[in-house]
Amino acid sequence: MIDTKFLDQAVQDLRSVLRDGLVATDIWDRNDGLSLAGFNQQPVAVALFTRITTELQSSLADSNFPPLARYYLLDMEGNHTVAVINHGALLQGLLVDNKRANLGILISVAIPRMLEAVAKAQAAAVR
Amino acid sequence: MTDRYVSWTDPNSLALLLARATAPRRSPTAFTRAARAARPAAKISTPPVRISQPPPPAARPPASIAPTPNVVPALEHVSDNPSDMLDALLAWTLDHQKCAGAFVADDNGLTLAAHGISEAHVSLVGPLLSALLAVRSIPGIDATSGALWLGTNMMSWVEARTARGGFCLGTVGAEALSTTALSQLKQALEVTVRDL
Repeated sequence: MIDTKFLDQAVQDLRSVLRDGLVATDIWDRNDGLSLAGFNQQPVAVALFTRITTELQSSLADSNFPPLARYYLLDMEGNHTVAVINHGALLQGLLVDNKRANLGILISVAIPRMLEAVAKAQAAAVR
Repeated sequence: MTDRYVSWTDPNSLALLLARATAPRRSPTAFTRAARAARPAAKISTPPVRISQPPPPAARPPASIAPTPNVVPALEHVSDNPSDMLDALLAWTLDHQKCAGAFVADDNGLTLAAHGISEAHVSLVGPLLSALLAVRSIPGIDATSGALWLGTNMMSWVEARTARGGFCLGTVGAEALSTTALSQLKQALEVTVRDL
């Protein structure tokens, strides 16, 4: 069982990195759609991106494309970007305001830090 | 006549004058001690100028005219927040290096922080660093810093690599930065990105 304190700390760290550029985030179990940690949590988005990610991964596999690695991005209307991070059994969605947080910080700092933090939480749960 | 003297030739008066002139100096009074204490310290140690000594050599030029080495303080971060650290790195660069703009980018050319340079210019870091991969394959070639003429100004950059990938700190200005300045930039970048 994963300790949600580690995930909460990771979300706090993410908020400190992206500051007011982070509009919302959720970390959820992809099997049951249960959100384990987040900020300005969005249950509808959790359901939506669980379905999109499952479809994307199966479509990639069916097309003999390389599988999804760390994340994918969606450019949304209204200067917003959605990033969905693949933590394995867990998924994470981020809604980011492009005017307040730049893509370089998101991709080179925020996402790698989240991947490390959630991996540590998952490793601690295994032990 | 032999016993009479005019005052200025009176042996007693002369002896008194001589005794006064050669008497040991008195210990400083309270006033002179206070006055000495009130003077700047530098003046206390100034040796008196003797007339018998040869005149002092020509005065040195003022210290402000003499060339002084440009001492650049090492970058120290007061916050462990990545955004604060990147902002501090940019501020330090703009304060201590000859440049009109500065940026930090990842090795894909995505801007992490920038001032005085457009993101379009920063994005050239991506293909630039990719091109340098082939250059680095030549033994003995480091190629982690350099300068590139952009057409109207010069971009100087340094690169540092971490487990999360490469990061680039660059400046734009009229001239390329010196090797000393580039090594200062590299040190500052390494200090910053190792904790990102």
